[in-house]
Amino acid sequence: MAQQVGSRRSLIVSLILTIAIAFGSLVATLSLGWGPKLGLDLAGGLSVVYKPATHASTADMQEVVTILNNRVNGLGVSGATVNLQGKNVVVSVPGVTDARRILQLVGETAQLLFRPVLCEATEAKKTDAVAKLPSCGSSYLFSAANLDVNTSTGEPSNNISPDPSFSNIATTKPNKDNPKDEVILPYLGESGVRYVLGPAQLTGTAVAKATAGQNQIGQWVVDYTLTKTGSPAWDKVAEANFHAEVAIELDGVIQSAPLILPSQSAFTSFNGQGEISGSFTESSAKDLAVAMEFGALPVRLNPLDTVTVSPTLGHSSLVAGLGAGLVGLLLVLLYTILYYRALGLVIVLGLAATAALLWAIISALGHTAFAPSFDLAGITGIIVSIGITVDSYIVYFERLKDEARAGRSVRTSVDRGFRSAWRTVLAADTVSLLAAILLYLIAVGDVRGFAFFLGLSTLMDVFMTWYFTRPLVILLGRRSTSSTSALSMVAGLTPGVSAHE
Amino acid sequence: MSDDVMTDETEEKTPGRLGRIYQGRTTVDFVGRKRTWFTISMVIIVLGLASLGIRGFNLGIDFKGGSSWEVQTSHSTVAAITSAAEKAGLRDPTVEKLGSKTYQVTADINSLSADSQTALINKVANSLAKTAGVSTNQVSVTSVGPTWGSQITHRALEALIVFFIAVVAYISIRFEPKMALAAFIAMVHDLLVTVGVYSLFGLQITPDTVIAILTILGYSLYDTVVVFDRVRDNAGGILKSGDLSYGEMVNLSMNQTLARSINTSLVAILPVLSVLVVGADILGATTLQSYGLALFVGLMSGAYSSIFIASPLLAIMKEREPRFREMAERARLRSDQRVLTPAAAALYAGEGAQRLARPTASSGPRPRSAPGTLSRGTIQARARKQKRR
Repeated sequence: MAQQVGSRRSLIVSLILTIAIAFGSLVATLSLGWGPKLGLDLAGGLSVVYKPATHASTADMQEVVTILNNRVNGLGVSGATVNLQGKNVVVSVPGVTDARRILQLVGETAQLLFRPVLCEATEAKKTDAVAKLPSCGSSYLFSAANLDVNTSTGEPSNNISPDPSFSNIATTKPNKDNPKDEVILPYLGESGVRYVLGPAQLTGTAVAKATAGQNQIGQWVVDYTLTKTGSPAWDKVAEANFHAEVAIELDGVIQSAPLILPSQSAFTSFNGQGEISGSFTESSAKDLAVAMEFGALPVRLNPLDTVTVSPTLGHSSLVAGLGAGLVGLLLVLLYTILYYRALGLVIVLGLAATAALLWAIISALGHTAFAPSFDLAGITGIIVSIGITVDSYIVYFERLKDEARAGRSVRTSVDRGFRSAWRTVLAADTVSLLAAILLYLIAVGDVRGFAFFLGLSTLMDVFMTWYFTRPLVILLGRRSTSSTSALSMVAGLTPGVSAHE
Repeated sequence: MSDDVMTDETEEKTPGRLGRIYQGRTTVDFVGRKRTWFTISMVIIVLGLASLGIRGFNLGIDFKGGSSWEVQTSHSTVAAITSAAEKAGLRDPTVEKLGSKTYQVTADINSLSADSQTALINKVANSLAKTAGVSTNQVSVTSVGPTWGSQITHRALEALIVFFIAVVAYISIRFEPKMALAAFIAMVHDLLVTVGVYSLFGLQITPDTVIAILTILGYSLYDTVVVFDRVRDNAGGILKSGDLSYGEMVNLSMNQTLARSINTSLVAILPVLSVLVVGADILGATTLQSYGLALFVGLMSGAYSSIFIASPLLAIMKEREPRFREMAERARLRSDQRVLTPAAAALYAGEGAQRLARPTASSGPRPRSAPGTLSRGTIQARARKQKRR
């Protein structure tokens, strides 16, 4: 009559492969010690949603993300993420025991600092942090005398090598970067290059405006205008460092360290305006201009939503979420076994395989940057999907009963029943997946995690229905020759012959 | 196990209601009693909307803006926590005990400057920690600007509209436009019921509630699609025979999927109930509560609307089409409504070519009283005791 859904051989292969993949991948992730990446509501931690105070372009916001990322990573906490969601920036730092301190450091508008360059330090071989930096050797000092600027070329006559006495000293950490101290900081974009800088002599508030542009010979330069009070202050700094270098520091990184007035033989006032030239590219000039004008960020950020979750609260949420999920799952299993008897065992095995595979996938995804972290919303998404997963079995089993009532043998019922159930499952799961994808794309915040895990388990449902339920039930059905076999225990599953008496 | 089932059937000719569902012998007249179902829904929705108009929503701080502190302690009281918050300089704090040992302090401090907000937040956190006897790190703090909630809502509404359009388009293509319309109305029904229940019981609306409502709509639709898939199946099969009107066919489809609908709803609601009872109440994860409540109400409504709202609506709309109107007219003249039991219909489908003969259809005035009379003798469970030929 009806064409069989797959040959016996292919059914067995698919069944064994699915079970092997599901439990194999679970064992693999467990033995690797991988676990899901917990969201901050489970691990405890801090999350801040920042909204730009004024209109900001997408490029501006991406700049913000880069800067905040540097800042958060500079704090030395692992697992921190900075994401752009629409026009908002979301900073999440999970698992932090002292969330409020971190919140202050992240939320602070980092200052642009002008510091005199003392000398260049060699690359750090060992990273010992020291309380107070040693002084630069006199021959290594970037003093005006040592540099001996040639005013006709605008270049120093002497090439001063890095001071080797700093090779064992670590670069100053951002949280130790005190404007009043001497520091060793890296140079932007030059890996391994570090400068020893003196205490800050001026901050970014002195700069009113900075723009990137090209000068007459086509070089990229940064033109800046100083504020009324900034102008005399800058003149003072520039005079003190005439023919030496002044570093422009932002967030613990030297953005640029220009020589002061190298083509002039004597200091003159800047009159509130200046130009920094050098080996700029278009983008590096623009970056510097942004850094000088806006201090830390291209736009001011206002915190919209700040959440700190204590690690204990997070832990109890995790226990509650998992507990609720497990109890719910057990109730579902109990019900299906009571209702479907032996067929209920198919559901139990199927859910076990699904759960194993799902845990393995979530754990593996936890090791990529792509997946959202596993939070309470995600747990809820999965708990909701228990209903959708079990429904696929229910739809199939009820179809089986229908087919058997129509007087068909168990052998034909399993095939025919699957074909109609499969269509239903596909149609319904498409709707569920559609909802998950749309939510993921459009929504913000926790909703995305929820949608991700709901979508993932819906896909799993389609996969398991085809590669697990289909072969298992059809194989069982073909084996069953007597009315007392496992499948016939489903109520109403009467062997076909009886209806034709 | 199987013996139990069989003795049940042989000893008891007319099984109880549950047994009938189990064996596919139900004859609930879903379409015919549409007025009852619609009235029930209207009452709930009107009550909810009236409450919404009078009392509005109980909005969480995410929508109003404000700050909240949460601390877990087993030896403190609401009064002690309130006085601790007030001592720290917090005006008009709202203190609630959530679950068994979580205290939540809420207040709107957005009128203060950013710096004094931070200072106050820390001061209150310290004071609460001292009262609760824990370290300051154990106090969870949420502070929300006044515009955050509206932004979430805005995004959710955007998602909702796109979702509605996509879903109506999908069902129109996969099934037919009238099914899409019926499913859409059922979804709006669930939305109104959930929103109404939230207002009626003064449940707090948080961004989690918004997520939950979006899920409910997805689930409601999922459920309707499963039911409609059966209707489409029958429309291509039993309806073609011309013996059943569209409404009667929908009725049959509902009875056929009744066991599945009940099972699925139970299976979907059990975990949500567990989230509510085990997660939120016993283990005290308060975040789970707002999800759980919305999901619980919504899943119930979603399961109800697929059967009692979407399907009768579909029947009404389809019977307006000329080709089905005539059939419906004939069915009315026939004076006896045909409410086939799923078991009977299955047998009919199994025998294929054999027409649905008139005398075999149920003929009682109240369809409920005549369960599955078609070919009753041939499908009685008695046969199960016999060995296969």
